[in-house]
Amino acid sequence: MNNKRKTGFAGVACVLGVMLAIQFQTTNNPVTRDTRDMWELRADLEKEKQRQQDLNNEIKKYQALLDDYEQSRKKEKTEAMEKALHDLKEAAGLTEVSGQGILITVEPFNEGEAPKLYPELIRRLINELNRYEAKDISVDGQRIISTTPIREVNGETYINNQPLGSFPIEIKVIADDAQKLQNKIIASQSAEDFVRENLYIDSKPQNQLTLPAYDKPIRVKYMKQAKEEL
Amino acid sequence: MWLPVLALIIGLVLGFLSEIRIPVEYTNYLSIAVLAALDTLFGGIRAHMQGNFEDKVFISGFFFNILLAAGLAYLGVHLGIDLYLAAIFAFGVRLFNNIAVIRRLVISKWSKSRKNT
Repeated sequence: MNNKRKTGFAGVACVLGVMLAIQFQTTNNPVTRDTRDMWELRADLEKEKQRQQDLNNEIKKYQALLDDYEQSRKKEKTEAMEKALHDLKEAAGLTEVSGQGILITVEPFNEGEAPKLYPELIRRLINELNRYEAKDISVDGQRIISTTPIREVNGETYINNQPLGSFPIEIKVIADDAQKLQNKIIASQSAEDFVRENLYIDSKPQNQLTLPAYDKPIRVKYMKQAKEEL
Repeated sequence: MWLPVLALIIGLVLGFLSEIRIPVEYTNYLSIAVLAALDTLFGGIRAHMQGNFEDKVFISGFFFNILLAAGLAYLGVHLGIDLYLAAIFAFGVRLFNNIAVIRRLVISKWSKSRKNT
């Protein structure tokens, strides 16, 4: 086969290929001609516009729903966190609390030289109160929390680093069952101890007691912030 | 022998890549043109094998056949007669003839070469 013949064949084959490809394409997805007249076009346009509006409305609706969901989720989260924080603060004694409980008044038993209210006595009383299911305690206006120091400094008793005032000293205790707590206090070991120290404790149930909040910073010595897991 | 095949493939690729589409009304013409091109191609192969190939006849036959077929189909559309069927018939018969002759030639060549070995 000489060169001329080859190129002839090649040219014919090439044209044939193009024609075949065009024919294939045309038969597989033919060009559809638009044969609508003006009125049909207008009607179709109107229909499409309506459809667009419907779709837009739908989008708007779902967008609003999405916004709603997101907002409620955010709100719920913050609400839950605030509630948890509030609960924790309450448990830590950082908020003012009120409720039914008993009011204990400490006074000298006998006239004469004023006795001293030793820290051990207060500590024992508080331990006993806690044993009897007291919920919140304050002594002479000082809220007792888990880290409250009760100690003697230079012969004076300090609670929360504040010296105790003069008699009578009020101890406020909030409990679910004030009557029961009072009965237990009357018969408690602490009451006898107080008497031995020339002190008298008198307890009265109260329907409404308000305990002040612990207002000093809480020093955390032995805890570290947990690393946030990523 | 590989050059025409390559050209065919190139033509196919070009046609598919160009994404040219013709209106549906004209597909008849194109199909007849394709048929004419095929007929010319196989005729050329047969002539080549029989040894009476002529370039001018081949090239002119290719274009002339295509134009004639398309013109016939066009005339048929205007006269209300399906004249393109005549073209399809003629080309189809010739195509079969040509392919049959090519087949015989190939077989005889093949048996000859087997006898020789």
